[in-house]
Amino acid sequence: MDNSSMNSQELERFLDQEKQKAMLNEVVSKLTSVCWDKCITGSPGSKFSSSESTCLSNCAKRYVDMTRIIVSRFQSMG
Amino acid sequence: MDAFSSPSSGSSSQPSAEAFMDQFKVQLAQAHAEEFLETIRGKCFDKCITKPGTSLSGSESSCISRCVDRYIEATGIVSRALFGSPR
Repeated sequence: MDNSSMNSQELERFLDQEKQKAMLNEVVSKLTSVCWDKCITGSPGSKFSSSESTCLSNCAKRYVDMTRIIVSRFQSMG
Repeated sequence: MDAFSSPSSGSSSQPSAEAFMDQFKVQLAQAHAEEFLETIRGKCFDKCITKPGTSLSGSESSCISRCVDRYIEATGIVSRALFGSPR
């Protein structure tokens, strides 16, 4: 038996993992884009001010909180 | 043996599992990198090129450099906010 080839179970597990990773990447990309627009209002400097980096961090976390509320609201509707 | 050479064992025409997985991950990473670059292009054009002239000024060029660095940094900040820093 050629044990260097993949059975369909291994393939499925590999693709699932890659799909998870890709989805997480997607969330980070989207949130970075949204939070950049919200938090970096002026011309980019040679480093972030502490209010800019705090804003970025808060923005990402509050977006997650908001998603939780939206989901539970949806679920509580008929 | 890298992901793009044929397996040295036998005359199998199927890529080995490892070669397949490596190639898959490389291509996925490339697609992601292209998308990331495209996003940065958009953001930094908006921020730095407010009045397109006949060439890029020095201040526009340095704005773009800073913008790229900051956007990459912002990606790290957001990522750590969501998933925490690796210990």
